[in-house]
Amino acid sequence: MTQRAAPELLLGILPIALILALWQALTSFDMAPPALLPPPMAVFRRLVEQLGNPIFLQHTFTTLLRLFAGFAIACLVGVTLGLMASSSRVAESAIRPIVRVLAPVPKIALYPAFILILGFDHASKIALVAADALFPILLATYQGAVSVEPKLVWSALAAGTTRRKALLTVVLRAALPSVLTGCRIGLVISCIVVFLAEMISSTDGLGHLLVYASRSFETVDMYVPLITISLLGLSLNAGFNALRRRLLAGYPEAE
Amino acid sequence: MIAIERISKTFETRRGASHLALGEISLDVADGEFVSILGPSGCGKSTLLYIVGGFVPPSTGVVALDGKPVTGPGPDRGPVFQEFALFPWKTVLGNVMYGLLERGTPKVEAEAKARALIGLVHLEGYEGFYPKELSGGMKQRVAIARTLAYGPSILLMDEPFGALDAHTRTGMQNELLEIWERDRKTVLFVTHSVEEAVFLSDRVVVLTRSPGRIKETIRIDLPRPRRRKELLVDNRYQRLVVEIEALMDTPAQRR
Ligand SMILES: Nc1ncnc2c1ncn2[C@@H]1O[C@H](COP(=O)(O)OP(=O)(O)OP(=O)(O)O)[C@@H](O)[C@H]1O
Ligand SMILES: [Mg+2]
Repeated sequence: MTQRAAPELLLGILPIALILALWQALTSFDMAPPALLPPPMAVFRRLVEQLGNPIFLQHTFTTLLRLFAGFAIACLVGVTLGLMASSSRVAESAIRPIVRVLAPVPKIALYPAFILILGFDHASKIALVAADALFPILLATYQGAVSVEPKLVWSALAAGTTRRKALLTVVLRAALPSVLTGCRIGLVISCIVVFLAEMISSTDGLGHLLVYASRSFETVDMYVPLITISLLGLSLNAGFNALRRRLLAGYPEAE
Repeated sequence: MIAIERISKTFETRRGASHLALGEISLDVADGEFVSILGPSGCGKSTLLYIVGGFVPPSTGVVALDGKPVTGPGPDRGPVFQEFALFPWKTVLGNVMYGLLERGTPKVEAEAKARALIGLVHLEGYEGFYPKELSGGMKQRVAIARTLAYGPSILLMDEPFGALDAHTRTGMQNELLEIWERDRKTVLFVTHSVEEAVFLSDRVVVLTRSPGRIKETIRIDLPRPRRRKELLVDNRYQRLVVEIEALMDTPAQRR
């Protein structure tokens, strides 16, 4: 993934432009009542306005905080468990069944329990984000770690590296392309889930703003958080890709 | 001294069957001796080296170094793998410095040593390249430098010159002989080339078709230091090559 060629970039923008054009057409030809679907320009004008509004920024910050906290926990736990499972029979036998049982559970079903246990504030939402983002990261780490060429580890052991150290400096490093792919999926899931959690029960955050606006038929305000989270996701992904390119400088997979 | 005592290796295959990869092998290698191993593809030459390296446990038998049984890898034995196994995330310099830094060599000193070794394998100017940016032969030379860097007293080389063109190959053979004559390392050297084995070795061990057993051990008492252009016209050298080639070609092996 080096510099994208300009035509490819254009090709990527085209569908988005088409959707915006369709949206514009729907509103300007009165095919949708403006009270339900405001024109795109109105939404974007409001977005720009809101970006200067400290209260709106506070909500955005709250969402980002939960997103990052949940995602960070998921990365830490997922990578640790994945590595452990890949490196020891005992750990694998302990981790595999619980992953099999928990991975297919819709985590949102655990949300009421999280609220009861952790309360209404940040903790329950962070827990939900972490629970949802955890499994793709864990599975990708495990998969990546077990397929690391053993001779890489052997080369390190022969040079005097201890097994434990080699797990971090060689196995994890060599499995990085796979680990980062898992993290990227985890990041997208985190964006979705944090918003969802805030929509279901919250008094702050972007998800709450959307629900609040829809309840009071403020349709313009309803679309602003939606576009904000989408733009956030876009920039987080771009940041993540930049990091990935740096970390994977020597890997054949990173092309 | 390396004492290989009645080792064999059986692999469990997926279907629960077992596969004898290496027949019973006993071999003593004296300190400072250069021993080459020849044998048909798949007869267990790599497996034998992995067992001596301590990367793979033998199914039966023991390997002892100066009387101490091998239980795992150690920096006294430096492997050069058939597949190079360079760290893809490290540059040429980083790969060669690895073992030195693991031993606690100060960075400045490690870098100076690594640069000297990179010079020895004729890769000056490639210090900042990643392995994926090198040709097969260049990777192999980096792998050799990486192993030489931490000064193992035993070298376990698995077709280290297999990916080199004829010219570089003879150059590297001379280089290796020079290093060997200077440091008197013990070398176990797997190769497919009879000429190479005779040129380099004190003894050549010929293995049978899979599962490999020792078919014949031939002492190469050509005078040292050996010069390629003198040897090529030396009758004794030619006779040894012919004799060993005949050994490797006998119908008993084609069974
Ligand atoms: N991890 C493994 N699991 C099962 N069988 C294996 C494994 N590694 C090697 N073998 C088997 O062991 C035998 C010997 O393999 P090995 O790689 O030692 O051969 P080799 O002599 O080095 O061959 P080559 O000259 O082609 O490198 C082969 O029959 C191979 O199928
Ligand atoms: Mg081999």
